[in-house]
Amino acid sequence: VTGLRCDDVRELAPAYLLDALEPDDADAVRDHLAACTEPHPELAELGGVVPYLADAIEPIEPPAALKDRIMAAAAADLAARGGAPVVSPPTAAASAAAASAVGPPADAPTQIPVPAARSRRDWARWGLAAAAVLVIGILGASNLMLRSQLDGAEAYAAAVDEVVAAAAEPGAQLAALEPAEPGGPSGIAAVRADGSVVAALSGLEPTSGTEVYTAWMLASADATPVPMGDFTVGSDGVGHLADGAGQAVPGLILAVSHEPAPSPTAPTLPILASGQARPPATPDQPA
Amino acid sequence: MSEPGVPLPRRLPSSADDADRAALARVAAGELDALELLYDRYRAMAYAIALRITRDATLAEDVLQDAFLGAWRHADRYVDGRGSVKTWLLAIVHHRAIDAVRRRRPTTDLPEPEAPVATPAALVMPDIFAEVAGRLDAAAVRGALAELPGPQREALELAYFGGLSQTEVAERTGAPLGTVKSRMRLGLLSLRRILTGEGDAAVEGPT
Repeated sequence: VTGLRCDDVRELAPAYLLDALEPDDADAVRDHLAACTEPHPELAELGGVVPYLADAIEPIEPPAALKDRIMAAAAADLAARGGAPVVSPPTAAASAAAASAVGPPADAPTQIPVPAARSRRDWARWGLAAAAVLVIGILGASNLMLRSQLDGAEAYAAAVDEVVAAAAEPGAQLAALEPAEPGGPSGIAAVRADGSVVAALSGLEPTSGTEVYTAWMLASADATPVPMGDFTVGSDGVGHLADGAGQAVPGLILAVSHEPAPSPTAPTLPILASGQARPPATPDQPA
Repeated sequence: MSEPGVPLPRRLPSSADDADRAALARVAAGELDALELLYDRYRAMAYAIALRITRDATLAEDVLQDAFLGAWRHADRYVDGRGSVKTWLLAIVHHRAIDAVRRRRPTTDLPEPEAPVATPAALVMPDIFAEVAGRLDAAAVRGALAELPGPQREALELAYFGGLSQTEVAERTGAPLGTVKSRMRLGLLSLRRILTGEGDAAVEGPT
């Protein structure tokens, strides 16, 4: 259906306002209205009352778990957008790591900053602790929107999907990789029960020559970084670590560095992004 | 598009509107607790709408998730002055619920899964939403619906609550499409008159 006249729109208006047009017709009305310079007072006249219809329905409480799903999916979305605060590790070890990250001494170059607890308490509540729920959300067949919007880059979305699938496995942990600098590269990673690690990052500079990015793991903030694997990055800025050699250690810290050559034994600073893996626990239930 | 902008007098005063707008602005800034606040405020209404249309608890949950994530991602598309946040949210829920049931029906063309979701009709509505965006109590709306001539009420209910397209309403009721269109139009006009107290109650039409 194309090229509706104003009269056509007037005729279709009631159904349009009730969401009762077939999609093609609805699109045609929308297109007409977007381009039409004539007034269409019938929309207000007929449509002003439509929202009231919702008031005729008795509210019904949805299952409490739905909120966890939605908030976890929103949290994951925030993480996938990058640049946003990601992990607020509540543990003492993480706090120590955060404290040490404030001013890493020059003689302790192996210390890798872990994202400090932020003012966004909600992240602590809804962030990665809800990984299991997030997986349901992202993999849910109907949840096309989130998938398509995780990032414009298809490659990144595919890599994120892989991470999320890995995080769905029993015993897996999920980590949000927060950029060290605002606007820097970010992503998410999963540590499987067998210790293998899959990661997806976006916003990385393309590699050239022998350059690689290296993923590192640290059993604690003070531990020596152990390389898990290298990956290269193309012009899309998407990094994908398919099968890193990690460890299934609770709270494993993951970090990414840019290296001049493959298989480094110590990270070349600065660390670009890092985060702490967490088991998918049940999020706090707010009062 | 100009519009008459007649306020509905029975609108309940809603200082919640301002709080909602503030919350939505924080949602647009990526603040999760603001999303949580709006979810908690409207989840029961949203779920009731989704459940009514989909008649499927699982699908209704998916609808809510899609809708609230849509709001989360696109809070900046909310246009102040076009209605309340409540209206905006519930219109998204309604639209997505309809989408969900249409997708499930094999006779309807499936939208491309990754295609951007069209803006719900209600969201391109003119300013009257600003006037009417409050909340009527359920009894008032149900009473108004009950006052409608049966065929008009049926057409509105099948479309809005049943998720049927106007063509499907015609098939379901056995009425010609043109008649269904008239019933929807007259039903909406009647409802408006009843709720605003303007003029006579129902508009009798050719049924």
